[in-house]
Amino acid sequence: MRFLYLLLFLLLLVFSFAANAQQSQQTVSGNFNQTPFEQFVRQLEAQTKLRFYFDPKAVDSLMITLQAQNQPVEDVLALALKNKPFRFVFDEENRVFITAGLLLEPTLPDYFFQPETPQSAAANTRADDAETASSTGRSRYVSPAEFKVYELGAAGTTTGKATLAGHIREAKSGEPVIGATIYSEAPSVGTSTDQFGYYSLTLPVGRHDLKIRGIGIKNTKRQVVLRGDGKLEIEVEEDITPLKEVVIEGEKDKNVSGMQMGLEKLDIKTMRQIPTAFGETDLLRVVLTLPGVKSVGEGSTGLNVRGGATDQNLILFNGTTIYNPSHLFGFFSAFNPDILQTVELYKSAIPAKYGGRLSSVLEIKTREGNKKKFAGAGGIGPLTSRLTLEGPIVKDKAAFIISGRTSYSDWILKKLSNSSFRQSSASFYDLSGHVSSEINEKNSLYATGYLSTDRFRLASDTTYQYLNQNASLKWQYNFTNQLYGVFTGAYSHYAYDIVSEKNPVNSSRLQYGIKQSNLQADFSYFPNSRHTIDFGFSSLLYNISPGSLTPNGEKSLIRPDVLGQEKALESAVYASDRIDLTPRLSVSVGLRYSLFNALGPRDVYRYASDVAKTENSILDTVRYASGKVLATYHGPEYRLSARYSLTENTSVKASYNRTRQYIHQLTNTASVSPADTWKLSDANIRPQVGDQVSVGYYRNFKSNTVEASVETYYKSLRDFVDYKSGATLLLNHHIETDIVNALGKAYGVELMVKKLTGKINGWVSYTYSRSLVQVNAGTTAEMVNGGRFYPSNFDKPHDVTLIGNYRFSRRISTSLNFTYSTGRPITLPLAKYYVANSLRVYYSDRNAYRVPDYYRADVAINLEGSHKIKKLAHSSWTLGVYNLTGRRNPYSIYFKSENGLIKGYKLSIFGQPIPTITYNFKF
Amino acid sequence: MRRSLVIARSIFCWCIATLLLPGCIDAYMPDVLSDPKGHLVVDGFINSRGVTTITLTRTYNIQAAAPPPAETQATVRIIDDTGRLYPLVESSKGIYRSGLLTLNLARSYRLRITTAAGQEYESASVLAKTTPVIDNVRGHTNSDGLTIVVNAHDDSNGTRYYRWDYEETWEIIPAFRPQVEYVKQERRFQPIAVPYPIICWGNQKAPDIHLSKTTTLAQDVVADYVLRSYPTTSDRLRYKYSILVKQYALTKEEYDYWTELRKNTEDIGTLFDPLPSQLTGNVRCLSDASELVFGYVGAHTEEAKRIFISRADLPNEWRTATGYEACFPPVLIGRDYASFFSGFLSYVPIYETPEGYISSSKECVDCRLRGSAVKPSFWP
Repeated sequence: MRFLYLLLFLLLLVFSFAANAQQSQQTVSGNFNQTPFEQFVRQLEAQTKLRFYFDPKAVDSLMITLQAQNQPVEDVLALALKNKPFRFVFDEENRVFITAGLLLEPTLPDYFFQPETPQSAAANTRADDAETASSTGRSRYVSPAEFKVYELGAAGTTTGKATLAGHIREAKSGEPVIGATIYSEAPSVGTSTDQFGYYSLTLPVGRHDLKIRGIGIKNTKRQVVLRGDGKLEIEVEEDITPLKEVVIEGEKDKNVSGMQMGLEKLDIKTMRQIPTAFGETDLLRVVLTLPGVKSVGEGSTGLNVRGGATDQNLILFNGTTIYNPSHLFGFFSAFNPDILQTVELYKSAIPAKYGGRLSSVLEIKTREGNKKKFAGAGGIGPLTSRLTLEGPIVKDKAAFIISGRTSYSDWILKKLSNSSFRQSSASFYDLSGHVSSEINEKNSLYATGYLSTDRFRLASDTTYQYLNQNASLKWQYNFTNQLYGVFTGAYSHYAYDIVSEKNPVNSSRLQYGIKQSNLQADFSYFPNSRHTIDFGFSSLLYNISPGSLTPNGEKSLIRPDVLGQEKALESAVYASDRIDLTPRLSVSVGLRYSLFNALGPRDVYRYASDVAKTENSILDTVRYASGKVLATYHGPEYRLSARYSLTENTSVKASYNRTRQYIHQLTNTASVSPADTWKLSDANIRPQVGDQVSVGYYRNFKSNTVEASVETYYKSLRDFVDYKSGATLLLNHHIETDIVNALGKAYGVELMVKKLTGKINGWVSYTYSRSLVQVNAGTTAEMVNGGRFYPSNFDKPHDVTLIGNYRFSRRISTSLNFTYSTGRPITLPLAKYYVANSLRVYYSDRNAYRVPDYYRADVAINLEGSHKIKKLAHSSWTLGVYNLTGRRNPYSIYFKSENGLIKGYKLSIFGQPIPTITYNFKF
Repeated sequence: MRRSLVIARSIFCWCIATLLLPGCIDAYMPDVLSDPKGHLVVDGFINSRGVTTITLTRTYNIQAAAPPPAETQATVRIIDDTGRLYPLVESSKGIYRSGLLTLNLARSYRLRITTAAGQEYESASVLAKTTPVIDNVRGHTNSDGLTIVVNAHDDSNGTRYYRWDYEETWEIIPAFRPQVEYVKQERRFQPIAVPYPIICWGNQKAPDIHLSKTTTLAQDVVADYVLRSYPTTSDRLRYKYSILVKQYALTKEEYDYWTELRKNTEDIGTLFDPLPSQLTGNVRCLSDASELVFGYVGAHTEEAKRIFISRADLPNEWRTATGYEACFPPVLIGRDYASFFSGFLSYVPIYETPEGYISSSKECVDCRLRGSAVKPSFWP
């Protein structure tokens, strides 16, 4: 560490004195005859600004004899030390170092820490040697761009600072590289690229070596001479490790030095390695392996992040909100893996930019498409197949990517012997497309469309259908190099439609729909290297059709029942500043202020204030006209975090954030079901508020190839919805009478060790966490478990996950996935009794017992085709076994009264090893 | 809706099961701590026009096979809102009956129970509802079999919530009619002295809860509510079958209770089902508010309708089972093996042949093992 500081210090000095670096040209005069060396240098010091440094003991026998008359000091010194075992060197700060034998370098070479070219400004005679030494980087092929010196900005401002900005793109496809680091070591200034691959760096004018690092790209650098504000577009190469060569190299490590905590970032390569039940890369399944993320069971994609409910996650797909991220009741996630680029999950320290959900933000970003050439990829699995096409629209400027996936599970149903199954059908598909276009240097446009549908028909009488439709348009405008804005318009639509036609008299159609339109502007401002300021505002209009039951067919006697539309406007402004106080200490201060207006037209029940809300306590009904505000909620959301580096590879981070949520998912089943609805806050339903404090310790080992972290958190949740016993959630005109406000608390410790490079890679994590709920409002009858805290449905205290990959060769790799967790809480029958000719069961307190522990191991082997670069299509096979040991992990345990007997059953979804095979191709 | 989702999920599970995994549902009985204390269970309703029958039992261990423990020697009475008492008398163990009552529908009623141990219990005060007459009970046949449906309506639109209970009775004719019997003491055969009954009547009370509400309909009409279905091969339809359907009008609260009770015991089972709740009912313990009591005591009248379905009413081509398929063929037991007719094997001789006795088991000859030999009073 001391060396680094010394280095930085020296380099800083180099720059500040670069303008008058003419020390050695100073002249001296004098006659010396057998003068002791010490005395000799004192005289030189007296005549110049120089300061000499040497070991007095080493020079005590050195006598100088010479004459000088206005000669350059360098010549004089050279003469004095000629044929003597001493060397000397000048540095940029008027210091002269005298050493015995070896030459002292006045500046530490850059490659002292990074095997790269030394700072060229640090002029010394050994520069050329160092250049050769540095070319032992990762790649053998070095881009010619690395040698070119880019002169940027209009000359004129020879002093002060200038801002350099631009994009980092992948050279082959032209796609932006997200999260790559670009930095200069002297002065130490760095930044990382955002979602558009955009960066902005403020540097002193002058010459710089900029280094570029990132996951999946080759390390590279650019030499620039910065004269004023300028643009530098950087193309980097994809990192293809050559055959038979495994290079283990640490990336500039984010875990320790990054500001963000509670962030899990996955790229598609990591996701592909993890075995799944149906052979297809599944985003949500991978997210579920991360510490702090749980679900009630393996057939469910509802995420519970750090003790939060499934509705407390904001799932963003290129900026649009996805309300139902799953297919086929949660067995598949609704995102095609081929189009995904990265997935980020914020568990704590949620940036001020995001809001509207309590527990987490899951941001899914798609690739932009190949800007250079047409390409495609696809896969064929036992239940689904997929295809992706991408290519340039305008070469290097605009590209598209379109990806589709469809199921053909119907054939399975047709194979079944039971006639009601044969009449059933289940199918789904999803389609996503993305177009990106760089109009000019200042303007870029991005458009995304997403559609997913599911359709089931059961025993020919009930048809379920649900769909997600999403679209977003982003316009990025660079005001200056230091300021850019992103203007987003997005639209999300989720709807379901259930048609039941068994009996013509009761034949009916149940529909639900939510539409969300939002407009937002996000600005990023980089005033100088110590501040990164984000600010912006957003406005979101909800329009919900909370449910309608209508007759289906002429004979139907169903009385139409339509719940009134719900409308609301959710707006927010935010600002946050990331401040690097010292190289060791950074803080991020953010504030988001959100405002929610429930809007008419609507009839609102008013309830007596001091008793529980029931139909009987309705006082009157107030009618609000269209556009009238019927309820307003608002409040600040604090987003604070800090990082302190203890050493170069250890740091401590802390964060506090508050979140507010104005939309609630109504579900009283253990897992998420497609008939669940979303309800807005209104005059009778308060918004949910959550606070989270977390502290973490991060340490990297083995030159940053192994990351270890410990994070601990405490979270409290207010006013999230829980239900009275037997609540009716569908078509309820006064849902508030069936809802109770619950309090929640969650706390835990997450330990993780991760190795993402090398032959063996993967991670292992252990989580201890609790998630508790309290319903202690209203009358005794409404309390759950007598008003005490009880474990939530997803309270699983111990959780161990191991994701491991081993690469035998470039063509064969295997992966192993191991999961253990405590069983989910359940409510058990304690006694039986006899009412109405049948045995009935008396159940224990809610969630007082647990199902047996969960344990599963999966393996997969990936066989790649040959790695010839020029080949029509690259293909690979994935063979896997899900649930290798065949353990029948209970999904649910339940009791049924059958012929007067009470029988207990255990339902396991995957009760046997499930082999899968998938064929993937890419062209 | 939820019910259908249940089906959906189980179908999917089943699909995987057929393809890859044999069965994803296993029997499971955790080592649950049984609640050691038996709580009072009140079963019955206040009949505002007729005899009120209340059964008092206790909750018991979930794994016990015995019938529920009866609560005897309690004092049970109906109380109206003016304080007037209508006492119930214990007619058999744990079953308490009132006299024939005609209660004033303008009053509200509650049930008061004092156990032999001195604990006081009371149900919530409820208004008595009048149940509309059952329009009809019919048996519909199609290729799958017989469905028994009920139709009802209320022109005043005042009922809205319905519950049905039913009791089935059917004729049973045993496989064989023995002509001889074996006298154990004297170790000899003789012509049968007391013949086995030639016909019995099987009987079953509805084990499930049947509810319907018409609040989503424009009229208060229950159309073809399915109470019971039988496949074409059912042995109950072999001779003569009868069903007595009882209809009750419920208040919303009582309907909610029954819905919840059904959910708790009949619907729980798959991923989409609601969490079970701690359902108790509307009876409270007066002396200890924290004590659990089970049961909902409503007040309403009872409407009943009985129908008969003969084999002749059903399609000719239906191949109804006898229920005695396992009895054929009977066995021949030689004279030397008379010990087979007593002791462990206890065969029953049917008739004599030169080689010995054609015999069968008691199950095949005595229909009283499946029903009652006493002809029900309502049987034609």
